[in-house]
Amino acid sequence: MSMSAEHDDALDDEVLRQVVGELRKPVRLDPSLDRRALDRIQAESHRIAPPASRRWGIWIAGAAVAAGVLLAVTLPDRGTTPARASAVALEQAALAGDARPVRLRLAAPTSSRVAVVGDFNDWDPAATPLRRAGDGGTWIVELRLKPGRYHYTFLIDGRRWARDPNSPPAAESDFGAPVSVLTVS
Amino acid sequence: MSDSDAALVARTLGGDLTAYAGLMARYRDRFGRYAFHMLGNREDAQEALQDSFVRAYRSLASCRQPERFGAWLFRIVVNRCRTVRRRLQRDRRFDADLPDDVPSMGERPDAFEWRDEIGQALDQLRPHYREAFLLRYVEGLEYAEMAEMTGAKEPALRMRVKRASDQLKELLRDVHVR
Repeated sequence: MSMSAEHDDALDDEVLRQVVGELRKPVRLDPSLDRRALDRIQAESHRIAPPASRRWGIWIAGAAVAAGVLLAVTLPDRGTTPARASAVALEQAALAGDARPVRLRLAAPTSSRVAVVGDFNDWDPAATPLRRAGDGGTWIVELRLKPGRYHYTFLIDGRRWARDPNSPPAAESDFGAPVSVLTVS
Repeated sequence: MSDSDAALVARTLGGDLTAYAGLMARYRDRFGRYAFHMLGNREDAQEALQDSFVRAYRSLASCRQPERFGAWLFRIVVNRCRTVRRRLQRDRRFDADLPDDVPSMGERPDAFEWRDEIGQALDQLRPHYREAFLLRYVEGLEYAEMAEMTGAKEPALRMRVKRASDQLKELLRDVHVR
């Protein structure tokens, strides 16, 4: 981030210079907020991490079981990282007895790869790729999600965000990307 | 020499939470200043920043330019502040009506009062004006960076900055101390 605004003409005004000078002074926040954030992060990690007695490896089977595929996930004993957590969260959602099948599709005929990122996979671009359908222009993925409300968006070719035109847009996005809302009931 | 943002992000993704603590400490006060001026009080600023840190951690794997982690995190902070601000406005409707006119201000207040007057003046700006003013002049962003961060077009952002500047001058011209 540059600092060229310091030399902007509008700051020729004496009052504004005084205001900006005051506003640029440091503001000290409580350093313990870092600790509280870490506590929340660790609490969330523990909710999806396996018990210590099973931490050297577990077999997780979810929707993949129905397709005859078993997914092996080895979890580290030092906690769950964001990338690993996303895979675990997705599979655990699938494990839940009340998970519902959800199919997402996006028309992107000129794209070479499409992924979906959202609340259900910790916004991990590598967790949930879509596959190209038979028509060549549509990308599809099937998920199994517990009832709830999820924010999500598509990532095209690893660099372009695209909201799902088949779902309502989210009122806001923390990431500046267009986001849709999926309600699973 | 301290680790780069990219190195700390990589260590965090590898499971090292102390690396993430380093990132938080690096940006806490700078982005906290923005949150404080945007939200008008320390408690809400700390809450917004804490939420931003947690959300950034959750989605850290999607930070495609870890060397620009600061800019990426700042976008999350800006958006969290918008959300908290909306909640504050909603809550405040039940507490008291906002003044329609510029409040009467005393003569030549001291430095503490001057800061308070600036806070009150900022509070009277529309949130988008305040946001644009802070991003441009206090955080020193270029308009292109602001557009990328906020999703607004550059001409709209220039207009917001100008309106905010004009209103602040009008609100504070009679009370600034020097």
